[in-house]
Parts: sequence; C-alpha cells; structure tokens
Amino acid sequence: MPIRSLFYFWKEALKSIFHHGWMSIASIAVVAITLLILGSFMVINYNVAILTEDIKEQVQIVLYIDEGAGAEEVNELQALLISHPQMEEVRYVSKEEAMERLKDQLGERAFLLDGYEEEDKNPLRDSYELRTNIPEEVAVIAEEIENYPAVGYLDYGSGVVEPLFQFTGIVRWVGLAFMSGLALTAVFLIAHTIRLTVFIRRKEIMIMKYVGATDWFIRWPFIFEGLLLGLFGALIPVAIIYYAYEIAFLWMETNVYFVNLIPTEEIMAEIMQVLIPLGVVLGVLGSSISVRRFLKV
Amino acid sequence: MIEIYHLYKQYSKDVLALKDLNMVIDRGEFVFLVGASGAGKSTLLKLLLREISPTRGNIKIFGKDVTRLKKREVPLYRRNVGMVFQDCRLLEDRNVFENIAFALRVIGASPREIRKRVPFTLELVGLKNKVFKKPNELSGGEQQRVALARAIVNRPSLVIADEPTGNLDPETSMNIINLLQEINIRGTTVLVATHAKNIVDYYQKRVVVLEKGRLISDQERGVYFNAD
Repeated sequence: MPIRSLFYFWKEALKSIFHHGWMSIASIAVVAITLLILGSFMVINYNVAILTEDIKEQVQIVLYIDEGAGAEEVNELQALLISHPQMEEVRYVSKEEAMERLKDQLGERAFLLDGYEEEDKNPLRDSYELRTNIPEEVAVIAEEIENYPAVGYLDYGSGVVEPLFQFTGIVRWVGLAFMSGLALTAVFLIAHTIRLTVFIRRKEIMIMKYVGATDWFIRWPFIFEGLLLGLFGALIPVAIIYYAYEIAFLWMETNVYFVNLIPTEEIMAEIMQVLIPLGVVLGVLGSSISVRRFLKV
Repeated sequence: MIEIYHLYKQYSKDVLALKDLNMVIDRGEFVFLVGASGAGKSTLLKLLLREISPTRGNIKIFGKDVTRLKKREVPLYRRNVGMVFQDCRLLEDRNVFENIAFALRVIGASPREIRKRVPFTLELVGLKNKVFKKPNELSGGEQQRVALARAIVNRPSLVIADEPTGNLDPETSMNIINLLQEINIRGTTVLVATHAKNIVDYYQKRVVVLEKGRLISDQERGVYFNAD
C-alpha cells in the first residue's frame, strides 16, 4: 500500500480513538489489566523457575553412612547407588571434606570449630551426596534407598521441595484460566469499540463504497484502531511491571539477600517479548471480528 | 455503454421487481428513467451499481458483464460510475472541499491530484466561493451541486442520478438538470431516475418508462409517460 494511504489509515485510527474517548479507555484498560496479570504471573513464574532450578541443581539427597558399618558394606552401598537407574550423580564426601566446607561456610567465625578438626574429634560423618535425574521424585527414591546397607540416615529436604513444585503448578494453571477469561473480555470490548466506530461512520463507509474505495481501504483504519488499542494496553503493564519489579528487586537485594531475583533488564526483555505482541494480537483480533461482522463491504 | 438483456430480479416468491428488461444506452446519451415508486427504478439502479445481483439476465457496461464482476473488481468498476442521490449524502462534519476531496482520497489519489481536481470541479458546478462552507450552511440546491461535484471529480464515464431534484423547488431543479446536461455535453453518459413530470417534459430527452418491473415505453425526445 502507498505511504500516503498508510498515513491516512493511522490518522483515521487515531482520530477515532480520541473521538470515542471512554470506549477507547475501557478497551485499553481491559487489555492492560489482562496483560498486567499475565506479566505478574510471568515475573513470579520465571523467578520461581530459577529458584527451583537452583534447588534442583543442589544436592537433593544426603546419605549419611552408618558409623558402625564396615568397609565391605560401604562398598556394597556405593555399588548399589551407582547402578541405580535414576541416579545422576553420586559423590562421596568424607567427614574431613565436610569439615572443610563447614569452615568455609562459617567464614570468619570458623574459630568455633577449633578443636574439632583432628580426625578422632571430628563429629561429622562420611556421606554420599546424591542427585537424581527426576528431582520431583526425590521422596520416592529416598524411600527406596533407605533400605540399602550401611545407611545411617537420609536428608532430602522433604517438606520443602514437594510443596514448591506443587505451588508453581497451581500458580500456572490458575493463572492460565484467569487470563484466558480476561483475554476474551479484552477481545470482546475491543470488538465492541470498533463496532461503535463502524456504526458512527456508516455514512462515510457507504460513500466510500459508492465512490469505489476497495474493501481493504475501508477496513484498514479499523484494524489499525484495534492494533493501537492493544498496543497502548500492552505498554501500560510493561511500565507498571518495570517500576514495581525494580522496587521489589532492590528490596529483596537488601533484605532477603540469599534469594537471587532475575535482574530487571533481563526479565523485562522476556516480558515485553510476550506482552507487546499479545496486546497487538488481542487488538487486531477484536477489530477483525467487528469489521467482518459489521462492515459488510 | 449500457446493454441490458433479459434482466430479471426477484426479491422473494411474490416480489418480482424486474421482468425481462431489455435496453441499450449509447455512449454520450442523456436518459431519463421514469416510473412510479415500486416500478423497479431503484432496483435497476442498484443492479447497475452492482449493489445487488440479478436473478437472471446480463448487464454489460463499458463492454464488461457487471453481473459477473468478482467482489474485488466491484470497487474499481464503481470508480468509473458517478452516483448522485436524492438526499445528497454529504459528510456533515466536513466542508465542501473535504467532501469532494474525500472521494479522491479514498481511491488513493495523490495530494497533487486532489489540489488540482477539486477546485476545477467546484468551478464547474459553480461553488468556487463556497469551498470552506459546511453542508448545513448551504442551500438544498448547493448541497446537491456538491454531491454532483463529488460524483464527477473522478471523471467517470457514466453518471447515475437517483431523484436528484426530489427535494428541490422547480427552479433549483432546473439548475441541477442543466448542470447534468453540461456534464453530458462534455462526453459523460447520464442516467437520471426521476418522477418530475415538468422536468422530463421540458428537456425533451430520451425517456425510458418502467411500470411494475417492465419497460413499457422507450422514446427519443420523449415526454413523461402517462399510463392512463
């Protein structure tokens, strides 16, 4: 299409948006709310995903070896663990190594361990750190290996891992259902706004048809109107999420420093990639419905 | 220019709007289409504009069968047919210039062309000094002249006017028909649907009469046909 037609379509679309101020604002608001909720869910989801990924990366089961077990039993245990089909990593940690780690963790307070370092005074135990290839199944596997020989006791963060996976699952589904409903409302409202525009301009459209304007020439301004409503509706939540996340990020950084949130720029790039195209799609979809149904050109 | 063969239009089982209509209008003719309301005038005009399709029969305009035009070909066809209505159908929120420019703009004319064609056409219809007036600031005759200017600004080969004098007093009506005559003299074929007896009788042009969907009279230099 020629540049001047393009210019004409945009001008008509903008004129119409300002002309029907309240309807336009309502449409933009619904798109904005829908996408704000979607964006918020995305922010939470991404962070939870990274967090759970962190947990998954960490050792999932620590198997402390029974102090009374003989070398033979320990060898048997190791063989069993290594041959277990769901085991991804089996790492032996001697109690000396465990002591070293503890010292590292305590940092400048490592003096607390003075006197426990000699071999016979070390209160820590030899252990195996295990990683399974299905993190969600940790509890089941733990139960299974509990019966292996030379097992003292197991520690697998039960009570933390499962609820976390459950929670992210629920968040995902509730969010999806909620957002589908809102997206539908947004499409409906945009369709309604465009329908109103079509109705108000029916005389103009009729004249256009009589003087030989093509169907697409008549349609484009309405499509652009929907597109702009959707785009404005997407920019608002992007801005809100940006500022809110920045505040949350800084707060977390100073107050809950052991949780690492995804940096603002990184997460905004992800979110904009979804929200802006989605807003545009919602807008164009809404106007297409109206144009098709109410603009029999 | 316009060739109509065995044209039928049936709206429903009981409503037969046109029955076996046959007619040829040559390039450059000026024709009055006459008939009482319900005679089939409006149906014929709608068929000519390809707003509706006939039940049977053919309409050839500019050598092309209008009834067989594809949907996307219709707009291009209409660019060659200027249409004038009884109620003018002007855009109230735009001035005279914009109303006429609108017809050019929506078919993708360049601003240069618009700046050239619109004043030229306004001069032709005698509205050069009303360029910036809104339709509601104009008289009925002036409004119809704007509508006429809009119909011809794109230089169509055919102008169709549906009761263009229906809302006007006799003197103003004459002005409009004179203007159509002038357009006709410049080479445009003109078809005027009307039931204004005095006008038809005065101009002594070709008169085609419809009654109950049939063509009952077609006379060169005719007068308003009275069935009684």
